[in-house]
Amino acid sequence: MPFFKRSKSSQSSPYSHLQSKWVKRHVGLKETLLTKHRDSLDWLAENMPAKHHIAVGSLSGLLLLTPPTIHTLPPTIPPQPAKEQPLILPEKTFLLADLTSIVPKEVRPLNLDEEKNITSLLSDRINLPVKAELQGIRLNTSYGYIGAEQHLMRYPGDTIWTHFTTPIDAVSYAKSGMAPGRGAWGYFSYSKAEMTQKDIDREKYYIAVQTFLAQGYSQNVREYNEFFKYRKMLILNPQNGKSMVVVIGDAGPAQWTGKQLGGSPEVMSYLERVDGRQKGPVLYFFLDDPHDTIPLGPVKL
Amino acid sequence: MKKKQFYSQIVETESVVVKLHDMKLKDDEKAHLVALMDSSLHHVILDAILSELSQGDKKLFLKELATDDHDAVWKFLRGKITGIEGKITKVADDLKKELHEDIKEVGTK
Repeated sequence: MPFFKRSKSSQSSPYSHLQSKWVKRHVGLKETLLTKHRDSLDWLAENMPAKHHIAVGSLSGLLLLTPPTIHTLPPTIPPQPAKEQPLILPEKTFLLADLTSIVPKEVRPLNLDEEKNITSLLSDRINLPVKAELQGIRLNTSYGYIGAEQHLMRYPGDTIWTHFTTPIDAVSYAKSGMAPGRGAWGYFSYSKAEMTQKDIDREKYYIAVQTFLAQGYSQNVREYNEFFKYRKMLILNPQNGKSMVVVIGDAGPAQWTGKQLGGSPEVMSYLERVDGRQKGPVLYFFLDDPHDTIPLGPVKL
Repeated sequence: MKKKQFYSQIVETESVVVKLHDMKLKDDEKAHLVALMDSSLHHVILDAILSELSQGDKKLFLKELATDDHDAVWKFLRGKITGIEGKITKVADDLKKELHEDIKEVGTK
């Protein structure tokens, strides 16, 4: 069930028209502020008093000092009993409403303006450095249909019987099965004994993207593969606002499938996406995390 | 309750809220538009203020802002920027004018 479902008729409603315009203006104003005063805002994020540390990291950090709250109607409006309390909406509702106005209705590659608006919105609302292009490399698309992938072998000898650390995970995810071959980057670890939590998380939260369709790939296969290998990405279901930090763990799917990426059983389950005729789109962008500080897994809003 | 900003006393937003109320929007729709207005105003006002300050003063201002001590913020701003109240109301009024025009445009469609 979508978090913020809007009827078809409301797509052209006065609200829809206004919010589309106001969201665009809002994104533009944020961009202006960030661009003009980046140094000072970064300084604030780094030097905020300890009690505000929850809010640091971006412009949204500054804005969290003054959280968006809902305006009560002025006293000249007759009081309405059912509306006495100001309506407080969760942050995810705002994110979904904003995304609705800038994510295209048809699933297709985003144009540069759309990319810019969406990455700016996500960077601000989710407070992570989201990029459509990183180090001069971009994927064939950042908006596409996701299909279900199987578990990947993490080390030689890993099977569906050795794959899970808890019975609950086994019950939930074993049915997806194990891919017969290794992922595009080989095993995650040389052996079970050497496997780290990082290896476990990388397999658990992996996606497969069409690395081979990235512009420039065929001329720079080695360089591009090095870039894509376990590259962190943010993946988001624009219809329920659920998002996750994942890595590129495999290459695929093939073009003929009509899908643009695949997700591990854990990723698909969390995003509430399914394969087949019910398949749905996701947004996915690189995360600029040179020091490897962003943990993998669900993003809480 | 809506959080008061240091500029809340000189920047009214009720005129826009009343217009939105007249549009017979749903509560969540109205709430979203009001939140967008508040946040947009916050951005233009911060931009206007920061644009008037030196690099060092920008940091001092942001530090004061983070403490949420409105008196201290005003004391700082009045000491640094001549006619700061007028500058804040000017950018806020300009933005509200645009918002009113958007509402009017929707009403005439």
